Formats: sequence, C-alpha cells, structure tokens
Amino acid sequence: MLSELKIDQAVELAPILTGEVDLLPVQTRYSLRVKPKERCAFIEASNIDLPAQIGKMSVQYDRVVLCIGPDEYILICSLAEREPLARKFEELMGKYIFSATDISHRNVSFILSGEQTTNMINVGCPLDLSLENFPVGKCTRTIFESAEIILFRMGKTKFQLETWRSFAPFIVGYFEKYCLQNRGK
Amino acid sequence: MLLIKCPYCQEDRPEIEFSYSGEAHIARPLNPDDLSDEEWAEYLFIRSNRRGLHHERWLHAHGCARFFNALRDTVSDKFELTYKMGEPKAQVKK
Ligand SMILES: [Zn+2]
Repeated sequence: MLSELKIDQAVELAPILTGEVDLLPVQTRYSLRVKPKERCAFIEASNIDLPAQIGKMSVQYDRVVLCIGPDEYILICSLAEREPLARKFEELMGKYIFSATDISHRNVSFILSGEQTTNMINVGCPLDLSLENFPVGKCTRTIFESAEIILFRMGKTKFQLETWRSFAPFIVGYFEKYCLQNRGK
Repeated sequence: MLLIKCPYCQEDRPEIEFSYSGEAHIARPLNPDDLSDEEWAEYLFIRSNRRGLHHERWLHAHGCARFFNALRDTVSDKFELTYKMGEPKAQVKK
C-alpha cells in the first residue's frame, strides 16, 4: 500500500509569496526511461504521451510529461493517479522495455507567475528565457544557483520549477529576496 | 559565460551546466592482463596534453545528462564542434 506522501519533515519552507511563488500540493512523479525505438509501442500500451524530442512536454488531462534526455521522461500528475499508474506500470513490466521509478517524494514544485517571473528565475539561472528561445511548452533540466532544477514554461509569464525537496528552502530564499527588493517597482 | 552546443539537446547552453571529463577517444585495452606495467600506466595516465585543438569528453550534467565529444582549442577556448558519443573522431582541418 502506498502511504500518504508528505514533504520531508526536515524541510521547513518559509512562507511562500502568494501569487508570485506558490508551492504546489504534493504531486505524483515518475521518472521514466524508454528507448526511442520502444517509444511508440510504449505510448500505445500505456496511453502516456511521451514527447518525441528533448525539451518538449505533453499535457494530458492534469498530467504533464517532460522529455529531459534522449530516453528520459518525468511524469507529473495529481496524487490520485499514483496508484493507478503504479498498477499500469506493473502490468506493462516484462512486456515492454522501460523503467519507471516513483520519485514523488523527491521533488517539490513551485509555480512562478507574474510579469517579473523571467527576471526572478534569471537571478539564479543563466538560460535565455525569452519567448523565442524558451517558448510555452518547453522544458529542461538546468541549474539555479548551484541547485539542479527542472523548469518548464506553462504560459507567457507562468513557469513551473521542480527541485529536490532539500534544495527548496535555499531556492525559496532567493525568490523571497528578489520579490522583496522588487516589490512596487 | 561560454555557451556550449550539446549535440543531444541541439542547443547552445551555459557552460555551468556542463562538466569536463578528460581526453576523448581513449579506448580501454581489450586484454589488460596482457599489458606490461608501462603500457597500463600509459593507458591510465598519459594524455596528449595538446596545445591547440583537443578532442575531449564533456558531460551535459545539468541538462540531458549525456556524455558527448568535443573538439576544443585549448588556447582560445573555442569549441570547434561537438558530436554524439559513438560518432567517429572529428578530423582536424590542417
Ligand atoms: Zn544536452
């Protein structure tokens, strides 16, 4: 039986800046590895839409699948889907060549939104986040200060940032400082 | 900041996402037992340490997490080209 998930007790998150940085409730996350030549068969059997290219994401119901490596995918969805997915992967095991690892507890997600979002992310992340270079629907693993993150763009001024839960207080600290300094500007 | 083109991501990405992993195209001897100590030491430690165009391995550690090969000028730091693992050693134009 899968137990109810909690963010690690060791993590004490500072109050989040509502409307600019919001912590998502606990999510289901799977790390999937599927070789390109197995991809189509896996999609058909699982009904999980794996994007064909690194940096692309697919959105299916409330489910997001990010392609962050040649054969590496991150699936993020609501907690309710956790057990059905686990059962589905168990069914497919042995019939298709893939790996699925439950990493729900490993990450926390932040929703970053507002006019200042790209500036705020660029405080710690050197990527060019212009719409031409980082359009809506793009995703990538990258770095924020020295913490690894996964970043994807959900709207013109809306991003989701995933990070290991132990990095979360560190990253929130940066956002807080940024928001306090730039408020009212 | 240096931008490095990852052959898997097909994008120029900031240098801090990458890590350097030594000279490229050094094959592990098939039968280490047949080698003398000198030959084994040569394989383990002796590198070309080239001044100029150098074949080297890089890891897109905080990106697609793939190793790839690059041809970089060790004097100017310019990346001449990057290519996927398993592709033939890039020729140096004279
Ligand atoms: Zn890459």
